[in-house]
Amino acid sequence: MFETTVYLDNAASTRMDERVLEAMKPYFFDLYAVATSQFGYSLGIEARDALDTARAQIAGVLGANPEEFVFTSGSTESSNLAIKGVALALGEKKGRHIVISPIEDFPVLHSARALERQGFRVTRVRVDETGRVDLDHLRESITDETILVSVQAANQEIGTLQDVKAIAEICKEKGTLFHTDATHSFLRVPLDVREVPVDLITVSAHTIHGPKGIGGLYVRKGTPIRKWMDGGYQEFDLRPGVENIPGAVGFAKAVELITPEETARIQAMRDRLLERLLNEIPHTVLNGHPVHRLPQNANVSFRFIEGESLLLHLDMRGFAVSTGSACFSRSLEASHVILGIGGNHERAHGSVRFTFGRYNKEEDVDAVVEAVKEVVAELRRISPLGKE
Amino acid sequence: MPEIEVDVREPECAGREIRVDVCGKNCPIPLVETRKALREAKPGDVVVVIGTHEASKKEIPMAVQALGLKLLGVEEEGGVWTIRIQR
Repeated sequence: MFETTVYLDNAASTRMDERVLEAMKPYFFDLYAVATSQFGYSLGIEARDALDTARAQIAGVLGANPEEFVFTSGSTESSNLAIKGVALALGEKKGRHIVISPIEDFPVLHSARALERQGFRVTRVRVDETGRVDLDHLRESITDETILVSVQAANQEIGTLQDVKAIAEICKEKGTLFHTDATHSFLRVPLDVREVPVDLITVSAHTIHGPKGIGGLYVRKGTPIRKWMDGGYQEFDLRPGVENIPGAVGFAKAVELITPEETARIQAMRDRLLERLLNEIPHTVLNGHPVHRLPQNANVSFRFIEGESLLLHLDMRGFAVSTGSACFSRSLEASHVILGIGGNHERAHGSVRFTFGRYNKEEDVDAVVEAVKEVVAELRRISPLGKE
Repeated sequence: MPEIEVDVREPECAGREIRVDVCGKNCPIPLVETRKALREAKPGDVVVVIGTHEASKKEIPMAVQALGLKLLGVEEEGGVWTIRIQR
């Protein structure tokens, strides 16, 4: 009883791959020293080599140079560093205005709010009903005082992909820096800094079957940015603190294990899930873009149903999913994403997110669809909200 | 789906009785608290949930059935319902 047999919340976090753990182990027990320069002792030099190798590998998949990749504790820290670091570097010199989208994840949303409290002006650029940024409004929003635009590569809830290249080019043309939170699209949707003029990219290991507690920030060479935490001079003087070498090695291993074939397999499961849910359950609508969306993400709203009830009943049948409904969101408010794309509270409360990963099997799709059909029918039968 | 059957027999073995009072609480709190109690309960224990939210009175037996547990009874008096579940 209460055993999760089908995990479909891979956007929240993924099961770590055993091969990642194996790669990490020596850096806990054998090569545990702090990374040192060539003037230090051998154990520290070996630790430094491992860190450098991991850095080069992760930077490489972004098309970046190793010295352009800073390890952090995860996406939250990466986005804080990007936004607050640029504000520290340019707030006095250039201006005190930044632009974000209203459906960003909390690290960006709340970093912007923190800057607002310090007197910065924040423009929230319009998005359409699928969550895509209005590029004309973005262009109009950038002024001579704009120091940074931060728009996610993919949405954490509804999976909508932004036109990152178009946004990056607008920012370049307007002479402002561009940061994108690519936590959910990293390696599932191609992004190469040699083709896209983005200046800062947030990534994380735990969404790609790597360890929790390690992430990174791509910082294009020459980007004006300052560290916002005080401490030592690690990570190119941008992120103080003893380096998490086991984490970095695990992150690199996780990167190595992601393949386009795996992503295609995941997308096929997602496609089948969406097709069945939308065709077989009446009054069900897709949240997010039908085409420009993360391959692993399905998000739908079931009318006359509260997502939290559906989540609980699915949990008791062994399925783990997520909802944008109030009680289960960490903010205790209905999803700001669904509301941000013009959805009403009923749609937000009835929204359920299913996200796939490496360990899902094809049969999980039919199993969860059958469970959802049964629970939705039962809940609608007893629901005071309405009937089919 | 067939109507949920209520098992009126006494518990086969005497376990603890765990009482959950969710009077005045709305969805999904009664179901959340019931799940919490069922997690804590040991086989044989009886969880007694007392509440007032109408939808939860129907949802809790639905969950009990999905979990394969024994629904010992659903009673209501003066707008207050009592659901007894044996783990």
